[in-house]
This record gives sequence, structure tokens and C-alpha cells, in this order.
Amino acid sequence: MTLLDAFADGFARRALLEAVMVGGLCGAVGVHVLLRRLPFFTMALGHATFPGVVVAALVGISLFAGAAAFGAVVVVVVALLGARDRVDDTSAVGVTLSGAFALGVLLLSAQAGFSRDLTAYLVGSIVTVRPADLVTTALVAAAVLATLAALHKELVLGAFDRGGLAALGYPVLALDVVMLLLIEATVVSSIPAVGTILAVALIVAPAATARLWTERLRATMALAAALGATSGVVGVAISLQWRAAGATIVLVAAALFAVSLVVAPRHGLLARAT
Amino acid sequence: MNLFEPFTIPYMQRALLEVLVLGALAGAVGVLVVLRRLAFVGDALTHTVFPGLVIAHLLGRSLLAGALAFGVLTAVLLTFLGSHRRVGDDAALAILLTSLFSLGVVLISRTRGFTADLTVFLFGRVLAIDRTDLAQTLAVAGMAAIILTLAHKELVLRAFDPEATAAMGYRTRVLDLVLNLLIALVVVAAVEAVGTVLVIALIVVPAAAARLLTDRVAAMTALACLLGAAGGWLGLAVSYEVSVDHDLRLAAGATIVVVLVAMFLLAAAVAPLRRRWAR
Repeated sequence: MTLLDAFADGFARRALLEAVMVGGLCGAVGVHVLLRRLPFFTMALGHATFPGVVVAALVGISLFAGAAAFGAVVVVVVALLGARDRVDDTSAVGVTLSGAFALGVLLLSAQAGFSRDLTAYLVGSIVTVRPADLVTTALVAAAVLATLAALHKELVLGAFDRGGLAALGYPVLALDVVMLLLIEATVVSSIPAVGTILAVALIVAPAATARLWTERLRATMALAAALGATSGVVGVAISLQWRAAGATIVLVAAALFAVSLVVAPRHGLLARAT
Repeated sequence: MNLFEPFTIPYMQRALLEVLVLGALAGAVGVLVVLRRLAFVGDALTHTVFPGLVIAHLLGRSLLAGALAFGVLTAVLLTFLGSHRRVGDDAALAILLTSLFSLGVVLISRTRGFTADLTVFLFGRVLAIDRTDLAQTLAVAGMAAIILTLAHKELVLRAFDPEATAAMGYRTRVLDLVLNLLIALVVVAAVEAVGTVLVIALIVVPAAAARLLTDRVAAMTALACLLGAAGGWLGLAVSYEVSVDHDLRLAAGATIVVVLVAMFLLAAAVAPLRRRWAR
């Protein structure tokens, strides 16, 4: 297989384009997810969009709209539950995650043809991505990246020093909600490529890898975006021979992380051992 | 609604016994998970046993053995990973979880009809378990119960005061490993019968509800066991009733989770009343 031959087909070109856009977007957003220690929340968000997808499929509206609407509900529920002093954040996320996912299964099981199309949402199906999906992904990516760039200073300060941000007169809660909504938009737009369960991998792994190589934040984000896009391209190229494209992309991203964990200068295991 | 009539059918009896045992065990382990804020670890373990199941399935070996091997492997990895300063616990966990799950997906996608296998793994088939499944679940659950009884005092101490635990000469690393292994055993006992989504719900939801209702660890554990078992029973009964009498099919495992979450919300509603009364 030569890489260029493989991408001569229309579906492969679309898959490649989708992989580059989703990978880049996830990588850049992932740096913020790590700064705010939100990987578990991101994971839950992926699971929790599931009932939205099911409802949207049943009613016949856009899957993106359904997933996004349910994701927004989950953002609010986690925030409300976590605000109670006797429910810690992790448990709130755990309860919300399993409850929302079970709701999706329940809705689906009430229909005939139980497992129909289910795996495509769960583990992604990038080779069947449609031109409409590409346009949606491009629009979401542009909007999210533009917001990240415009609010970069405020969002970073909020991740490191919430008290300082409040003292400077910024609306802390509003900025938190903006960040959570950006993560939600990223998760939802990566569902066609890697699915609800694996979206968190494409968000966390490239960002964690980039943090091993550089300490400057803008460089970390650029590197994470590049690593995410690279994982996407290599994963799609390998998986044209196999079937599970989303899972292969995740394995490539994880392999890049594992290698970096060993060989990265200063923070790698080899460098720390000597 | 009749709470007893559905369970005259043999497969419903087996399902009931399975969810009662798992509900009680997961409730007891869940209290430690909630106290230590390890819900993400529990979630990770439910995903990482997946490649074990797939490999065992492909080799034609016992699924339980495959799940057990990967469960123990992940428990060990999780205990020693995440001490890296720039990576962080949750990031390491997310990467480990998704990459092992992906490995399972890639392997199983080579076989025919993998959609059905994946669905069973995620959502379980609690109504289709046979005597062998039940015996295996009971064996693994019994093992977990013995470990939990033996190490319970130390694990609770570790949850509240790591420094004192270390000062008293216990190795906190070893205790962490024991707890991770316990979570892994619960997952392994349950995953084949009831699916990953139900397992994490059984571990986290009853314990989180019990924590809302009481401050004492012993009472919390008893309550979590009770809630877990009761949720399993009620969920099965509701699922049967609605499916048979009202012709609206509700998946048994998902119904149990929804009942458990309803219990949690009820606990969250009455918890403020309890505290006002106690004052």
C-alpha cells in the first residue's frame, strides 16, 4: 500500500480531511482539558451525548443537534450536582455518565431493531463520513478555535488562578461555562470520526504528548493540534486495510504518547532516569 | 406491580440472584470508591477488561479468564502509573482506558458480526445468563468479598488519613493495589453478565446515594449494599412488567441503572431534610 494510492478514492479523501480537522481541533482543545483536569468530565460528556443521538435518530433531526442539546443538559446537571457539598465532582460525573448512557440504551431498546447503527456512534465510522459532516466539522472547528484564540488569556488565567481572574473583574462562571461548551462542541463534532466512547482519547492523548515536549502553552497547543491531525491521518491510512478506523486512530495517538513518555527531553522517563 | 411473580421463571431467578449478589458487592466496594474519589478508575477498569474478553473469545478460551487477566494487569498498571508529574493521574487513566478499549475494538472488528458482540459487552445480557455464568460470578464475587472483609479497616483508614496509614507501617501503595484489584474483581464478576455501563453504575450510584444519607462508614456500606441489591430487584421487576404487560420493551440492564439513578435523586432530595432534622 502506498499512502497516496489509498487516498485516490473519494471516501478515503473525505475520511482524511475529517481526520485532519477533528485531530487538530481535539488536540488544541485538549490542552485546556488537561490544564483544568477535565478528562473524566470529557469522557462523561462523550457517553452522555448518546441519548441525544438516539432521540435525534428516532425523531429524524440532525444527530449533531440532538447530541449537542443533551450535552448541554449534562453540563448543567454535573455543575449542579457538583455544587452540593456532599457529592464530590467525580461521583457527580459518574452518576451522570451512567444515568445518561442507560437512558439512551433504554430509549433504543424500546424500539425494534435494538443494535441497529449503534456501533457507528460508539466507536465511530470515519470512512462513511458524508460531505455534510465535513462542513459541520469545519464550521465547529473554526468557531471553537476562533473562540479559543479570542479568549486565550482569560481562559488560561481561569485554569491557573480563578481567584485572580475574579479579582480582575472577569465573569468567572460565564468563562467556565464557555470552556465546557467548547469541549462539548469538540466532543460532538468528533463523533462521526471516533465515536462517543473514544472521543476523549483524541482530546487527551495528543495534548498529554505535547506537554511532555514543551512547556510554553501556545507551543503546546500548536504541537497538540499537529499531533492530533497526524494521528488521524496515520490511523486512517492504516485502517483502510482494517475496519476499525476510530480505534486505530486512538491507538496511533496512544503510541505517540507512549514513545514520547520514554524519549521526550527533560520530562521523558529516560531523561529523568539519568 | 408484582415484585415476586416474575421470578417464578428460571431465567428470571438466575438474573435476580446475579443482580442481588453483584448489587450488594458493588455497593460495598463502591463506598470505598466514592470515599477515595476513584469513580474514573472504576470506569477505566470496565473498559480495559474488554480486550481480555475479545482475546479469550478469539482463542476460544474462558471469557472469565481473559477478563481476569486484563483486569489484574490494569489494576497493577493503574497503581503504578500516574505518578508522573507532567502527565497527571486522570490523563494517564484516560489514555490507558481508551487505548486498551481500542485494542479490543480493532481485534474484534476482524471477526464477523462484531456489532452484536460489542453491544452485548456494553449492555450485557442479564436475562440470558446460564448456570455456569452464575457459578463463575459467585466464585469471583466470593473472592472479592473475602478480600474486602480482610482489608476493610485498613482501606477505610487509607481513605481518610494516608499519612497516619503510612505512619502505622502500612504500605499505602499496597493498599491502593488491593482496592484497584477489588474494583477489577467486581468488574470481572459482572461484566460478562450485565455489561460495562451497568457495572460502573452499580459501583458508583448506590454508594453516592448512601453517602448523602449517612456519615458513618459502616452504615454507609450497609445502605449501599441494600440500595444496590434493591435497585437490581426493582429494575428487573419493572423491566419485566413493562415488557410483558405493556408491550414496551425495556432493556433489563438499562432499567436497573435508571432505577438506581432515581434512588440517588430521591436521596439527594431528602438529604437536606435529614440534616435539618439532625441539627
